[in-house]
Amino acid sequence: MSTDWKKDWKKIARANGLAIPDAALERIAQSLDALEADFRPLVRTLPPETEPAVAFHAAIELSHDRKGVEDSE
Amino acid sequence: MTLLEAAAALRRRDTSSAELTAAYLQRIERLNPSTNAMQTVMADAAREQAKQADHELARGDDRGPLHGIPIAVKDLFSTKGVRTTGGSSLFADHVPDHDAAVVESLCAGGAVLVGKTGMHELAYGITSSNPHFGAIRNPWDRDRIPGGSSGGSAAAVAAGMVSMAMGSDTGGSIRIPASFCGVVGLKPTYGRVSRYGAMPLGFSLDHMGPLTRSVRDAAAVLNGIAGHDPRDETSSRRPVENYVPDLEPSIRGLRIGLPENFYLESLDPDVDAAVRAAFKTAESRGAEIVPLRVPDIAAINTVARVILLAEASALLEPHLEQRDRFGPDVLALLDQGRLLPATDYINAQRLRSALQREFAGLWSRVDCLFTPTTPITAPRIGETATTVGGQSQDVRLTTTRLVRAINALGLPALSVPCGADRRGLPIGLQIIGQPFAEALILRVAQALVPAEVPVPRL
Repeated sequence: MSTDWKKDWKKIARANGLAIPDAALERIAQSLDALEADFRPLVRTLPPETEPAVAFHAAIELSHDRKGVEDSE
Repeated sequence: MTLLEAAAALRRRDTSSAELTAAYLQRIERLNPSTNAMQTVMADAAREQAKQADHELARGDDRGPLHGIPIAVKDLFSTKGVRTTGGSSLFADHVPDHDAAVVESLCAGGAVLVGKTGMHELAYGITSSNPHFGAIRNPWDRDRIPGGSSGGSAAAVAAGMVSMAMGSDTGGSIRIPASFCGVVGLKPTYGRVSRYGAMPLGFSLDHMGPLTRSVRDAAAVLNGIAGHDPRDETSSRRPVENYVPDLEPSIRGLRIGLPENFYLESLDPDVDAAVRAAFKTAESRGAEIVPLRVPDIAAINTVARVILLAEASALLEPHLEQRDRFGPDVLALLDQGRLLPATDYINAQRLRSALQREFAGLWSRVDCLFTPTTPITAPRIGETATTVGGQSQDVRLTTTRLVRAINALGLPALSVPCGADRRGLPIGLQIIGQPFAEALILRVAQALVPAEVPVPRL
């Protein structure tokens, strides 16, 4: 499945202030276009309630902080 | 000799750790010039550790099967006072002030660290043709790659320079070189082995595991390195089991999944035949072969690629102005990662959740899955395209096609040798289990694989 539009990687690089030479961008454009074509249709299947696989665990953060405090004491 | 055979010989006083260490160091000296498997050799420190191990064992202070055994670790595991490069010129002079958790565990078990193995630059590739430290060569055919990124670990074990070397696996980096070099490579469940002190590549995809010459050796090493580590945020608190299978375990009644889609498509014919033969062998030992359709693995691969591109580029962002410090293949991947929007990373992690739930449904029907590890055997050094099923394919994408998704799913997976192609190059069988089913996949592998894998004559 392919997208009906293509991203302009050179413009994206410039807009993000990335110092990637044009020649390098031309070499990777095909890989990025192929990845876009595979990835974009998958994103459209996502129901809004699906949460990301990475999560913030406040309790673990606190236990680390406490250990740091104990060590310094 | 396998690790456990050496351990038994030490306890029978047939040999000593000092003798074993001297023999392995001699082999390294002879074979490293032609394989480049070892990046750093720690001969003096190893001799000292071996002497100490012999003293301890003589007085009955036995720390377990790793005690006195010469081993190596991939050069991305931090080693206190010993250069740790990650295969990168950025870290060519980096000397850590601490050991990685895995190194701590191995040393606490009395292992003798003889050196650090070479790798693909920053663990970001599958060839191990390192632009800064030279190409690592496959001991079966030195014109071919050993696979990567843990290429030095696999080559060192296959060449008999050590009986075990640790590797890391973000998109197949333990299993691919294990397949290409004909050794056993174990990627445990995400969270089973601490990532602390190992240079990261993809935070949510990195796994640490051993490469060995026998299934039981891999299990014995897992016994030594598994367990909770509060320094790794994702480390599991699930209790550690004894992972070492019996010498001749039963697999009678176990249900082995035979994928009807994806995994057996577009394979080298020799790989196809060897993997199908493995199903027959398992069936002859009493296992039930269950044909099934697997979820969309190509989609999981795509998701895993987006996650890795984003995580690796985020990690290395501070160094990316120094473009001449990277090899061209790694730089191309890092550039790609910088161009992905944050929304793509988040959506990839959302898709990962959805696909993980879908894949989990398989485990009510089977106990494990068999697949090829790689669709092809080891390509030649410098080869970027290969022909599979009459079609020209990119070597990197082909090589990672059957392994990458398993990193995104965090499942335990093992590559074991299951034959050779028409040129005599090893073929790998991948055995995939449900989360924390390491003991089961090791048992299945032990039932299929010889006590010591075939090794090249060197």
